[in-house]
Amino acid sequence: MTTTRRNLLKFVGGGAAGALLTPAPWRLITDTALWSENWPGIPRPARGEIRARFTHCTLCPAGCAVRARCVGGQPVSLTGVKPHPIGHGALCPWGLVGHQLPYHPARIRQGPVKEAIVAVARAIAQRGAGERVAVLDLRPGRTVSWTYRRAMAVMAGGLYLTPFQPAYAIDLAAARTVVSFGAPLFDGWGTPGNVFAARANFRLIQVEPVESRTAALADIWLPIRPGTESAIASALTGEIAIAEAARATGVDEKTLGAAKEAMAAGPVLALAADPGVTPGNWNAELGALGRTVVARREAPVPEAWKKAAPSTAVSAAPDRSIRVLLIDESLPGGYVPWQDIEPKLAPNAAVVVFSSTSEGYARHAQYVLPTAVYPETAEDIGPAIDTVAAVFRIAAPLIAPVVPVVNSGEFVARIAGLPQTDALRERADAIHKAGRGTLIDYVAAKSKPVKEATADDFWKALNQGGCWMDDTEKQAAPGKLELAAAVVGRPLTSPTLHDELPLTVVTAEPGRGGLESPLMSKLERESNLRLSANRVALSKADARANGIENGSRCVFETARGRLSVVAVIDAGVPAGVVEVAGGARMVDLYGPNRTARVVRV
Amino acid sequence: MSIDIDKCNGCGACMMACAVENNIPPMPESANDRKGITWIRVYKVDNHRAYPERRTAFVPVLCQQCGHDAPCVHVCPQQAVDVDPETGIVGQMPERCLGCRYCMVACPYHARYFNWWDPAWPAGMEKTLNPDVSPRMRGVVEKCNFCHGRWHAAQQKAAAAGQREIDAADYVPACVEACPTGALRFGDLNDSSTEVAQDAARPESFRLLEKIGTEPKIHYRSQRDWVREIANAPHPDGKDEHRG
Amino acid sequence: MIGGKIAFASGMLLALAGGWLAFPRILYQTRLQPVNFSHKIHAEKAGTKCEDCHSFRDDGTYAGIPTLDKCSGCHAAAMGTTAEEKNFIDHYVTPNREPQWLSYARQPENVYFSHISHVKLGQVKCEQCHGNEGGATALRPYQQDPISGYSRDIWGRPVAPVALRSEGGMKMDDCVSCHRRQGLEYSCLGCHK
Repeated sequence: MTTTRRNLLKFVGGGAAGALLTPAPWRLITDTALWSENWPGIPRPARGEIRARFTHCTLCPAGCAVRARCVGGQPVSLTGVKPHPIGHGALCPWGLVGHQLPYHPARIRQGPVKEAIVAVARAIAQRGAGERVAVLDLRPGRTVSWTYRRAMAVMAGGLYLTPFQPAYAIDLAAARTVVSFGAPLFDGWGTPGNVFAARANFRLIQVEPVESRTAALADIWLPIRPGTESAIASALTGEIAIAEAARATGVDEKTLGAAKEAMAAGPVLALAADPGVTPGNWNAELGALGRTVVARREAPVPEAWKKAAPSTAVSAAPDRSIRVLLIDESLPGGYVPWQDIEPKLAPNAAVVVFSSTSEGYARHAQYVLPTAVYPETAEDIGPAIDTVAAVFRIAAPLIAPVVPVVNSGEFVARIAGLPQTDALRERADAIHKAGRGTLIDYVAAKSKPVKEATADDFWKALNQGGCWMDDTEKQAAPGKLELAAAVVGRPLTSPTLHDELPLTVVTAEPGRGGLESPLMSKLERESNLRLSANRVALSKADARANGIENGSRCVFETARGRLSVVAVIDAGVPAGVVEVAGGARMVDLYGPNRTARVVRV
Repeated sequence: MSIDIDKCNGCGACMMACAVENNIPPMPESANDRKGITWIRVYKVDNHRAYPERRTAFVPVLCQQCGHDAPCVHVCPQQAVDVDPETGIVGQMPERCLGCRYCMVACPYHARYFNWWDPAWPAGMEKTLNPDVSPRMRGVVEKCNFCHGRWHAAQQKAAAAGQREIDAADYVPACVEACPTGALRFGDLNDSSTEVAQDAARPESFRLLEKIGTEPKIHYRSQRDWVREIANAPHPDGKDEHRG
Repeated sequence: MIGGKIAFASGMLLALAGGWLAFPRILYQTRLQPVNFSHKIHAEKAGTKCEDCHSFRDDGTYAGIPTLDKCSGCHAAAMGTTAEEKNFIDHYVTPNREPQWLSYARQPENVYFSHISHVKLGQVKCEQCHGNEGGATALRPYQQDPISGYSRDIWGRPVAPVALRSEGGMKMDDCVSCHRRQGLEYSCLGCHK
């Protein structure tokens, strides 16, 4: 046989024909198909023993009890604790995806810790007379807040700053009529489980220009012109006639009449979107003080801590006086616009922010130090607005921090020269010593009086997910005057609209700060359910007037600055109003006057 | 399942719990509401009146788990979806799917979603995946399976006790468990003593697009007439005035 | 011309030989287990049964191949004199490192197999699917198909994708044929996740 090309081809042909008669090519096809199932590199979920662990959510002051389903120690899903007396097993959308936050791609992963320590020490040493060291605590009421207060008391010229902190709590279960001036009662106010458990007991009159989620579920919605809340307040108490209020607010008389009638049923409660604002001394007039608005109680603290700096509002700090500012933004909480803080800073001020997100004060601070995110955090949650009894609950960490983090409490204690102690343990011991209250143990699913547990058992139960709740009956009722003083805040103002800034800004989403899981895109981009931080909603009329279409790129402009946004058209937004989502960037922009315009790019 | 539209506040907790339970990844930046994957999606519907007479309601829409004549089952060339005789769940098998998307056309509720991209979680977030549900690759269709992973877990628990029948309290889909208002309820429709069966029997109860005969197992209810009319509307999203 | 036929025939013979004789041998890659564990010693000397280490948890889930803490319970210190045990203690117990066992029966991610339903409700014996592991003095070599990544136990002994009869693999066809023999109804969701 000669080796010609033809023979070679025949050889190959024979080989191919033979190969087809063997299992090889068929098996290879099947194997390749199987391989292609796996080659995209899709992660395989890790396997392991499935256990339930308990903690509390730190994403807002409600501090709902959380049951984490953990696979080999790693939380893979979160749910509420059903028998909990306050939370009733409900979690909000952010709380349900909180376990993904440690892996957020935008999380701050490192920071100049040593440089910050040096800079702060130098600034403290070199400060002039009258120059202060301040801590801005955006989530006051925690145990670490006491550490800040003690540190600022020990330090000469120390200032403890907070956003407005209501000295009252709301007893929703006692209310039969609730008048809410834009407060998102069903969507971000208080503890969700508590609100919905009490829903059947009260009638809600929601007063706001846009039909929010709360307004959609309210018994009566009063669609007012923005800024006319005072007229509603006066009409409902009878100070002005319904007809006059109808003229001022744009709400028809029949609806106003129905709202006034509804007020006759039982204890009334008035809420405002911003807890620092009340329409006049309204709750006092309505007789809510002592019934639905009660003094806020705090869990006992060790005696040694009583020497602590009081809480000061940022506006009360002297101008140009703060030489060192330490901002604790580690938990999502209140936000004070930077324009309100900046005038208080001395020249050469050293600003350090403890944060995990670059969207807040990190934009303005010199030193951004990374903190732990939920559920890595080990601290307690301050009181919720709607919890009447004093509570103490620790957010027990479920995983170790995945990046190197700084503990802001330890940092501040160190610069003030306070001894480093386990503040949470000291607080727990003080509570145990006081002997009051009940320990609700989620793991064992039962409650028992604190007196029956040893201090060690109490501490252990708190760390495994457990909650201490005071006995309401034994708490002393405050005097009415004390409450009245606590409740009065700034009055509501009407925005001064003018041609340049013709739109009133209304916040659609509950005020949130900090990181939110990438899965929130399901609510913001992959559906039309919620406004994302870079979107604004306009009425059709306003959009048309500015040549804006649904989805146009626009600029949101206020007296303080501008922001690039995407505009959407929403028939639920009235003319003259622009609806925005919360977030630090937005709050910095619209300030107290809340006027803006939206211009197409 | 029964859903009380008058209780739904549109918070989206059900959507989040579903995404966590079923290993649904966050979508890339370019995704919008046509390309996203939301096995349960809360739609905002309204009464089409102008402000201030306009009223809004929120309707969670998931796979309606049609009866044995489910449209998607009929059209699938791969038999990648079937109606489970035991539970009535319309089970979608992404591993059999070839991605023709005929079922997406057939589904009158737009409850089926296509994986336009391979799932991508940020680094480290894949540790939070649920081992009871397998992640899907791109090119296949997926939809709500009534948290069959939880059904499996309930079966295992029953088997551990030597039982073949599961305890109804052990099998609760993620959306129902997460709903803070109690709008969603789940149970055995054939058992007239359950809340779900009683909800379905109420006069204000309705199902979406009942007239086309899909026999869905999701029963909605509302006291408001205009909300009940929505069930006959051509698209749950309403007209072009919605935000989007 | 004859040369052509010979060329064709020789090509064909070569391919047939390669496909039927060589291919099954080269298809599978053999990998070693991290520790040369002897089931027999543990079954006899330690008196353990399958379910002592391969246990069911309270919620019915299957622990599968035991994790290090199960072994450390007894082997915190050397219990025998074998080099294998010393190797195990030095490399795994002391540094608290999980051995990366190669699982013979690992199914694709989308398969849901409930051990407890089969063992407790179905009364299926361990040996029926896994063979008599308890009597083995050493772990079988782990043979892996490098293209698809699955072990030989899943595919079964024969190499061809078409099986004339069920040859003891763990593919879907093998599960289905047994379910059919038992007269059990099944649906997709019953076994897939």
